[in-house]
Order: sequence, then C-alpha cells, then structure tokens
Amino acid sequence: MREILRGALAIAAKDLAIEWRTKTAFVSSMTFAVLVLAVLFFARDPTVVGAVDVAPGSLWVTFTFAAMIGLNRAFLLERENRAMDGILLTPVPRAAVFVGKLLANLVFVGTVEAVSLPLFILFYDVSIGRGLPALVLVIAIATVGFVALGTLLSAMVVRTRFAELMLPLLLLPFLVPPIIGAVQVTASILAHRPLSEVAGWLKLLTAFDIVFLTVCTLLFERTLEE
Amino acid sequence: MPPAEPVLVARDVVRRFGYRPVLAGVSFTLAPGEALMLVGPNGAGKTTLLRVLAGLLRASGGTIELRGNVGMVAHYSMLYDALTARENLRFFGRLHDGRSAGRADALLEVMGLTAVGDQRVGSFSRGMTQRLAIARALLSDPDILLLDEPLTGLDDASLAKVVDVLGGLRARGRALLIASHQLAELMGVITSVGVLARGRLQAVEPVGGRGVDAITARYREVVRGA
Repeated sequence: MREILRGALAIAAKDLAIEWRTKTAFVSSMTFAVLVLAVLFFARDPTVVGAVDVAPGSLWVTFTFAAMIGLNRAFLLERENRAMDGILLTPVPRAAVFVGKLLANLVFVGTVEAVSLPLFILFYDVSIGRGLPALVLVIAIATVGFVALGTLLSAMVVRTRFAELMLPLLLLPFLVPPIIGAVQVTASILAHRPLSEVAGWLKLLTAFDIVFLTVCTLLFERTLEE
Repeated sequence: MPPAEPVLVARDVVRRFGYRPVLAGVSFTLAPGEALMLVGPNGAGKTTLLRVLAGLLRASGGTIELRGNVGMVAHYSMLYDALTARENLRFFGRLHDGRSAGRADALLEVMGLTAVGDQRVGSFSRGMTQRLAIARALLSDPDILLLDEPLTGLDDASLAKVVDVLGGLRARGRALLIASHQLAELMGVITSVGVLARGRLQAVEPVGGRGVDAITARYREVVRGA
C-alpha cells in the first residue's frame, strides 16, 4: 500500500508539474468552460425560461466537457516518447499508475470546477447562500466517479488512432446516470430545498463512485498490456 | 574459475501477434560481463525480443529467467519533453526507490550532461536525448541492460561517449544485450554476436579475434541459410 502511494504521488506530482509548466489543458478547459456557460446563458429566452431553471444543466454540461479535455490529455503525456514504457520498466505497482493519474486528474478537474463555479454564480445570478457547502459536496462526489472512469477509458483509448474522439464516445454513455443525479441534486440545492428530498440521487452518486473506483482500479492493469 | 551463473536464461521464447509468430522459439543465455550483439534483418523480431525480455510484452510461450534487475534503452527515449533532464531522472528514480532518485546527478555527470541538467529534454539534440535515456536506464544500477539501436542518429562525440559507457558497464560485470546494425562502432564492447532471423536465434558465436568483415560475412551466410 505504501509502495502504491509513493508511486502514485510521484506520478501525480509529475503530471501536475508538466501541466503547470505548459498549461495546455487548463487554458483549453477554462476557455471552453467560459464559452459554454456564456452560450447556454444567452441561448435561452429570458422572458420564458429563468436563468435558475437552466443553471443546473448548464453547470454540469460545462463541468463534464471541460473535464473531458483534461482527461483526454492524461495519457497523451505518456504517449509522447512512449514514456509509459519507462514507468512500466520500474518496479512501481501498476495500481500506482492509475491512482497517480486519478489524483492528478482530480486536482486538474477540481481546479477547473473551482474557477468555473464563481463564473457560473456570476453569469446565472443564482443565490446559493448556505447551500454552498452542499453544492461543493455534490460536485466532489460526482467528480470522483466520472474522473475515475474517465482515467480508465483515457488509458484504454490512448493507443487508438482517434483517442480524442473515442474518449467522449465511450465515456458519455456511462455518465448519463451520475450527471442526471448531479443535475437533480444541484437543482434542489439552488431551489433551497432540503437534501433529504434528493437522498436517492445522492446514494446513486455515491454508489457510482464506489463501483467505478473499485472496477477501474482492478481493470487498469489490463489497459497497459499491448 | 567456474563460469559465472547466467543472469538471463531464455528458453523457447515465443511471441505471436494474432496468429503471426514474430518470435518462434528463441533460446540463449547471458552471463555477467557478457555483451551479446543481436543482429538480423529488419522485422526479424529484435525489438520484440527485447520488449518481451524487459516485460513490456507478454511472451506467448517459453520461459525467461532473470537473475537481477533489468534496464532498457529503446529507440524512443521514454522521457518527458516538458521536464528537465534532472527532473526526468529524479521522477523515474523515485519510481524505482528513494536511492535511485539520488543517483540522478551522478548519472548526469557520467553521461556528460551536467551542464544541461536543468534544460528541458524537448530542447535536446538526438545525441543528448539518447545519453539521457541511457542514464534513465542506469538509475536502478541494472544487472542486465537491454539496448535497442542505441547508436542510431548519434554524432561522433555522443557515439564515443555511449560506446565508452557501455564498455565500462561490461567491464564492471553488467550483462548487455544490444540490438544494432552498427557492428563496427560496437566492436570494442561486444563479446558475442547472435543472428536473429525468421523468429529464431540462428547462431550465437563469440567475437573471438574476428574483425568486422569476417563477422559480417558470417552473418550474411547465416541469414541466407535461415
């Protein structure tokens, strides 16, 4: 376990150092997030549909697709010069590679979400008030599951010719249940309703996390085989 | 003095891609201080054999016994362009163990890269990249070093440095398996030559007192008869 953690931290630190230096994925994700928030805001007829009615959907569409840019890049770093072979030649447990990539992706997606959320509140003029901790919690729960799955699928598709096209094709169908759940819970929070009303959706999001964290960790090693 | 125990024993190693056998039963041994040069026509399976021995590809059949740890240098660098030379070595060193990361500076010195240790690998010439790739492979002080075309594309200075380092490793009892077409440059390093053709090691013969012309003539004879 200690070996996994040591390797995972080294891999996550390396990925984040490269992203910090190049900022390729972050700039792309943030530009995309701002554009989507703005386009969806202005796409509605304000006399018919209130901002708060489309806000939950807009937030999760923004998060999902902005995160996809980062997830797509996760293993492209290793495709360059076949650096993954260099990692596999070390005695580091294969699970550490997955955990390291997952940690780096969570930090990346979490940062994009942390920057996008105030923009979202500003654009849609939603009053969150005391619901902010609950909203942050829901974002965290939903993010862990889909980033875990995205990390696994990113590793699977990276050796295909159309990796950047394949990832959304494979990932999005899996994301339908958790994204619907996240939208429902977010809508409830924005409407200042008690979380107990959406307890079922919260359980679904938690179950999604547990199932996909476990399955992805177990399956990851198979994606490294040629 | 009894002959040294081999550090690598390959018996009937088979590797198929689909139904196509690339390695059709390769057997040989490698002892400490031995440097076996693997020659053969393009597509003979040299790279595949090295990748199987390194554990990057699973063998479809046969057995491989390794007594010691393995380092590998391929014709791709396995390095991150966005990181500096020192950061690359420290990263891969951390994945080996804590002590290996501490060897980064010493290996930069050995490979003549100290002055450019803080430059990004993306700005390196082919020769500098290859020297750094060898430093990466030496992080764990491997008993067996697998090298795939280690001299391709190197200028005279880099070539001399790499040949010097390989000769030093062999003198210190490391076992080397080198797939290359550059026999003349490696004559001072290698102790034996193996001819891989049609997926089999057709002959393994000591260099003895033979020169490049004699070995080349023998190689052609073996390939014609395969």
